Amino acid sequence: MASRSGVFSSSVGTKIVIGITGFALFLYLLIHIAGNLMVFFGPAFFNRYAYVLESNPLLPLVELGLLAVFLIHVYKTLRMFLSNQDARPKAYAVKRPAGNPSRKTFASSTMIVSGLWLLVFIVIHVKAFRYGTEYEWPAGGRDLYRQEMENLSNPLMVAFYILSMTVVGSHLFHGIASAVQSLGLNHPKWTPRVLLAGKIVAALIAVGFMIIAAWVYMNQPGTGRVHV
Amino acid sequence: MRLTLKIWRQAGPTVAGRLVEYIEDHVSPDMSFLEMLDVVNEGLIKKGEDAIAFDSDCREGICGMCSLVVNGVPHGPDRGTTVCQLHMRRFKDGDTITIEPWRAAAFPVVKDLVVDRGAFDRIIAAGGYVSFNCGGAPDGNAIPIPKDIADVAMDSAACIGCGACVAACKNASAHLFMSAKISQLALLPQGQPERYRRVTAMVAQADAEGFGSCSNEGECEAVCPKEIPISNIARMTREYVKAALTASK
Amino acid sequence: MTLDAKIPGGAIVEKWDRHKFEMKLVNPANKRKYTIIVVGTGLAGASAAASLGELGYNVLNVCIHDSPRRAHSIAAQGGINAAKNYQNDGDSAYRLFYDTVKGGDYRSREANVYRLAQLSVNIIDQCVAQGVPFAREYGGLLDNRSFGGAQVSRTFYARGQTGQQLLLGAYQSLMRQVHAKTVTMFTRREMLDLVIVDGKARGIVARNLTTGEIERYAGDAVILATGGYGTCYYLSTNAVNSNVTAAWRAHKRGALFANPCFTQIHPTCIPVSGDHQSKLTLMSESLRNDGRVWVPKQKGDTRRPEQIPEAERDYYLERKYPSFGNLVPRDVASRNAKQVCDDGQGVGDSGLAVYLDFKDAINRLGVDVIREKYGNLFQMYHKITDEDAYTVPMRIYPAMHYAMGGLWVDYNLMSTVPGLHVLGEANFSDHGANRLGASALMQGLADGYFVIPYTIGHYLASAPLPKVTTDHAAFKEAADNVQGRITKLLSVKGSRGIREIHRELGRIMWDDVGMARTEASLSRALQAIPKLRDEFWQSVSVPGTPDNLNQSLEYAGRVADYLEFAELLALDALERRESCGGHFREESQTPEGEALRDDANFTYVAAWEFTGVGRKPEVHKEPLTFEEVHPTQRSYK
Repeated sequence: MASRSGVFSSSVGTKIVIGITGFALFLYLLIHIAGNLMVFFGPAFFNRYAYVLESNPLLPLVELGLLAVFLIHVYKTLRMFLSNQDARPKAYAVKRPAGNPSRKTFASSTMIVSGLWLLVFIVIHVKAFRYGTEYEWPAGGRDLYRQEMENLSNPLMVAFYILSMTVVGSHLFHGIASAVQSLGLNHPKWTPRVLLAGKIVAALIAVGFMIIAAWVYMNQPGTGRVHV
Repeated sequence: MRLTLKIWRQAGPTVAGRLVEYIEDHVSPDMSFLEMLDVVNEGLIKKGEDAIAFDSDCREGICGMCSLVVNGVPHGPDRGTTVCQLHMRRFKDGDTITIEPWRAAAFPVVKDLVVDRGAFDRIIAAGGYVSFNCGGAPDGNAIPIPKDIADVAMDSAACIGCGACVAACKNASAHLFMSAKISQLALLPQGQPERYRRVTAMVAQADAEGFGSCSNEGECEAVCPKEIPISNIARMTREYVKAALTASK
Repeated sequence: MTLDAKIPGGAIVEKWDRHKFEMKLVNPANKRKYTIIVVGTGLAGASAAASLGELGYNVLNVCIHDSPRRAHSIAAQGGINAAKNYQNDGDSAYRLFYDTVKGGDYRSREANVYRLAQLSVNIIDQCVAQGVPFAREYGGLLDNRSFGGAQVSRTFYARGQTGQQLLLGAYQSLMRQVHAKTVTMFTRREMLDLVIVDGKARGIVARNLTTGEIERYAGDAVILATGGYGTCYYLSTNAVNSNVTAAWRAHKRGALFANPCFTQIHPTCIPVSGDHQSKLTLMSESLRNDGRVWVPKQKGDTRRPEQIPEAERDYYLERKYPSFGNLVPRDVASRNAKQVCDDGQGVGDSGLAVYLDFKDAINRLGVDVIREKYGNLFQMYHKITDEDAYTVPMRIYPAMHYAMGGLWVDYNLMSTVPGLHVLGEANFSDHGANRLGASALMQGLADGYFVIPYTIGHYLASAPLPKVTTDHAAFKEAADNVQGRITKLLSVKGSRGIREIHRELGRIMWDDVGMARTEASLSRALQAIPKLRDEFWQSVSVPGTPDNLNQSLEYAGRVADYLEFAELLALDALERRESCGGHFREESQTPEGEALRDDANFTYVAAWEFTGVGRKPEVHKEPLTFEEVHPTQRSYK
């Protein structure tokens, strides 16, 4: 028997770990987008939501957990990518996708690229929102609404955000279905539906974040643009 | 038919290889792909040139020996077909066809289009069997097996061990190959006693051989001449998890 | 030389049990001290190597493929017979024995056949225990079908891939022993000589096909399980690497070759489409359970099959053999197909094909049932011919398929060279002049799993076997012999292709030593073969070097051996002036055109002794006696 620690470093165990962490990050994204959508209800509502969330004493623990999940996901995928490269040292002169029923897509072929992009994005994103300039909100907590408005006032930054959300969509387009398969879930009737649902949810998340970023940019206070 | 062939020539395992171009005029649409290569070789042999080495044996799609990547797809463009069963009517006069060997660290090139697939044997040797000595078997009908279970086990057992799954996978992963055997034996009552030892040992052996991991793209299933589905890989994962959770030491 | 088949005494039903008790045993602790060399990893070789490994012998297993799983047993489609009587339809070991002796047209050894029938039931149990996914009924029990002329349902199957599943079962057991280090596997090695020391087989010389090295393997006994010689006919259902080389080289070292003219032509193969063709694909005989064979009544009818009305079709098998109809034995079906084609009723572009029509079966059972039963075969047919057999009848034609002849062995499966054992298709033993469907898998596995583990122990325990190493002069002599032949092949440097010569040999064999043989055709072949052999050695082109993977060199060596062996086959056919089973001499037929045996003069096994290339071999006769099944004229009317 392999030792329990060895289990997670085998080619199958690695998949499982990547699948679990990936799926957890996907679930986090669902919560994240749900929270962000509250920006449409105005600063009072949004900041109240943020205050309730951030005043939860368990939050640091959750954040640490999320960070751990994220780091494990990054570490395991990078390790796997490198060892997969070793598995085919000599490339084909001509290589074509085999077609149906293969699930190979542009998204699946570029997971490492989209993943690395998101790594960079997340560092910038967390720096801006978690460690950026903070303003106090009179009713308690910080004025996250204002912070968001300011962070997304630069057109270059908005473009970077929108582009990154496309990358998120692409990563999830393969990632959600892939995680399901990696966890050993495969059913003749349900798997095709799960695959389809995964792609739709991926697109919805990406588009949702993009709309938020675009809306925020279009609704900058004092720019003459419409402010609700 | 006239074809331009770009064929990988490599004199031995340790020397560099390259694509060499051949023009072949005498191709009939009724030929199989390998018979077309036979014709090319006959021409080379008559000229006293070293023939193109490629593996084949049964030429009816069951032995798993033939192993060519045709225009970037293992076993060529037809689904559920080994390259020996691929026919030239699938190509057009004037086509250019690139032919390469399986490429994977675990399948080193022996010569030209021939690779060494001993790694697959070693994966089976690690646990792809029922430990049962000849003699003393109970009556064949002693343990009834539901027909649907037996049928799914047969679907998995149909693997011919050709290695196209590895050749197609961007990670050169052997997951489809080993999951087929693991599935077959995990489904049948005879495979139960060693069910968990088997999956652990076979996965460890595949990793030691230098095959990659799985990215769930399913290129393997798409090129598999026996159309073995990646649901086998999912089953292998479940077996692996159960094995890990029930490990006794 | 007198041939002693060493058939044990007693009633036929107890011979094997009695023999098992009388044979000597090797002490368990001593087994690992014995080295057994097994050549081949098909059903017979893999099952033998695995079983001997399980017993604790030190086994060296050699195969020509990249993996033991590639052996051509894998291509057997239809099934495996066993006298289980699960269907309650009156089967028994005795009936299977009776059918096999009769099917073999009374040219097999009764004692061997009875043992085979007896062991058939153990094979199924063994394979089920290995996890072979045989077809099952809804109740979960094993399914059976009737196959190839049997009147009981005793054939076990795994879709159309029975051979594959049985071979993989044996292969997995073999790999288990490789893992346990009782068996050492040597892949991509071709046996090129047998080494005899003090009159006993003590080793082999093989070429490492990847490095070209000439390797020596020493042991206490040698087992050949190297299959049949069908590719002597160039086009056959055998794999392209199947060959007679190992058996032929053993023959040249003194092992007698028995009944080489007993070859089986399989009736249901996909017809030849052109000169480029490298092999013929078999369609399982099970197709004849539901397909009806016919040709147009009118000669040279070029209408499409669907345009030919019922009344103008000749369902010739049903017409001539009302009780067996389309299920007559293989030799009868093949010969009749040849006959109608020779009469000008053949179909397809070449006129060398007959129809196998599923229309009635589809109407009766529905297309889904037919698809369930034969889907993979119809798919295969479609891939090769580009035709849909659900809508147009298949075209089929006979092809060379199986060799009943092979190296002579006694009841213990030992050849005339002490220590050299021969299993499976490579030996001659059980099928007489014609093999019944689904019996080849049975024989290969019976030999490997259940016979050789006992008989080889008896040999090892009985014979003094002083230690022999590969330094022995006999090994050097054999290695030099092998090296010399390779050098000779490479030094011809002619201009003729190897395949071209092989194809020419195949044409001679098919035309003159094929389904219908005559004194004249055989004499013609006996003149043509030596001539072609001389031409080969003068004008063949074998490119490349001997020190790496050189498939041209491998192929040339095999063709060279066929050019010697073919002469023996034709000679045996000439000297057997009777028709029996697959051997049909036109001079010897009943008024209805059926094979007519000459029991008074030919109830024997012809075992040939090599006397030199181009020299007439010497024949030794093992008389056959039939105490249980009394020879009658076979009738499938």
